[in-house]
Amino acid sequence: MARLSGVPGWVPAVALTVLALAVATVVLCSGPLGVPPADLAAAVFGRGSPEAELALALRGPRLLAALTCGAALAGAGAGFQILFRNPLASPDLLGVSSGAGLGAAVALLLGAGVFLTQTAAFIGGLAAGALAVGCAALTRGGDGRLALILCGVVAGALASAGLGLVVTIAEPYSQLPAITYWLLGSFTRATLSEAALALIPAAAGTMVLLWLGFRLDVLSLGDEQARSLGLSARPLRIIALCAAALMTSAAVAVAGVVGWIGLLAPHAARLVVGEQAGRLIPSAMATGALFAVLIDRLASAFGPAELPVGLLSAAVGAPAFLLLFVLNARRA
Amino acid sequence: MTLILEQLVAGRRGFRLPPLDLAVEAGEVVALIGPNGAGKTTLLKTVAGLLSPLEGRITRPGPAAWLPPPGAVSAGFSALHVAALGRAGRRRWSPALLPEDLEAARAALTRLDVGAVADRPFDRLSSGQQQLVLIARLFVQDAAVCLLDEPLALLDPAHAQQVETAIRTLADEGRVVIVSTHHLPFARRADRVLSLGPDWIESASPAAALAPDRMRALFGVETAACPCCGHAVG
Repeated sequence: MARLSGVPGWVPAVALTVLALAVATVVLCSGPLGVPPADLAAAVFGRGSPEAELALALRGPRLLAALTCGAALAGAGAGFQILFRNPLASPDLLGVSSGAGLGAAVALLLGAGVFLTQTAAFIGGLAAGALAVGCAALTRGGDGRLALILCGVVAGALASAGLGLVVTIAEPYSQLPAITYWLLGSFTRATLSEAALALIPAAAGTMVLLWLGFRLDVLSLGDEQARSLGLSARPLRIIALCAAALMTSAAVAVAGVVGWIGLLAPHAARLVVGEQAGRLIPSAMATGALFAVLIDRLASAFGPAELPVGLLSAAVGAPAFLLLFVLNARRA
Repeated sequence: MTLILEQLVAGRRGFRLPPLDLAVEAGEVVALIGPNGAGKTTLLKTVAGLLSPLEGRITRPGPAAWLPPPGAVSAGFSALHVAALGRAGRRRWSPALLPEDLEAARAALTRLDVGAVADRPFDRLSSGQQQLVLIARLFVQDAAVCLLDEPLALLDPAHAQQVETAIRTLADEGRVVIVSTHHLPFARRADRVLSLGPDWIESASPAAALAPDRMRALFGVETAACPCCGHAVG
């Protein structure tokens, strides 16, 4: 291990996960209702006090959404950063966020409800990702990574153009604010069933990335090295991309566009556990979940008119990213 | 246990090497020499299976591994993990590398005298150490055919000597080894030299291949010494 010699690889990931869950519990218990943790645990099994039941019903879904989305975005970001050996790669690399934004905006324009909007966002995100991967597959030979980045930019630009068109023709007094608010990102819309629905694709993508593990390290050495080591680079890379795009789409469908978590969390985790995929991805996911819960708590601290999480994550994430960058550079 | 090339034409779009017939026995070290741009890397990659041959046939005694020149591989994780990834092809469906893979990697690193840097990030090592780690990976991978692209470039004499010893060990353990190089004293000590000119390929003993008239034909220079280090090679 690069940073913590002598500590088994799984320890930081488990410690960070416990920390994220503990912070989530504290957030649930604190606030005007003031529920003791034991009461809350009883409420999970339907035998708690009315206050505990209320706290769980009001805050439970959005906390679950924050944990899921934070972890999914961070895991996808870590996956992309390893695959492309580029520290600036983020979950939006394939244009997934823009595609999801376009899907949601079109749904809102047509007057769809929350569930349909999220489904449209999910499909839009996956479609943009598929477009990027499909275009890149048309190029033969050369460095496959460069083709993917360029095709991701193209898919993202197309989706952004569509989004601009939707915003232009949206009715300015009802539809436009709804679209804008969705694009800024928030965990407050999530109901329990929606948060749980995001959990399934996010968990599926996570399983795939974790199984890929050392294969991601091989892919990060480049296609020729991967093939020389006896692995088929192209199929593995497409599997990894699909898993990361699935995780990103799940998160964006529930929470809207929440930036920076996918960029920031892997960098923070890298400081502790180093570059190896099998160690970095779980730790990055726990860090992302923790960051999302904290940001969501901060967003609701500004009174009844909550700030969009997407705004806060950028406001907090950008300086934090700079700090991490300086710390990393000084170590090197 | 023989690598057989039959009328092999390597190349890329708009670039063809002359056809090559060659049989290399396990245990043999073949040095591949020729001017820049003659197609040494293209030939090695074709034999490794990374490029498809334009014509002809390759019969390999087993899987082939290709190593790029020093400095071409970059990895943020530990040297130990880089060496252990040599087993990636054997763990195709396994969720993780096995403890025995890490043990094999550590043993190979220790054997090549880089055991002390096993836990340091690969990118922080010197070019010489990186090259030794990658050759250790060849031992861990245990490919039947090892193709090394200028493994001695950028290395100081001490590291070059260590790398050359390791290359000889790769062959002595029963592998086919082909090494491209501009370091002619190394070619002199190889079992056979494959000279790659602008429109001809010939395979000969080191003494014949490095004779002044062949050097003139190959590089267009009058020399009885290595153009890269000045050592006498004849």
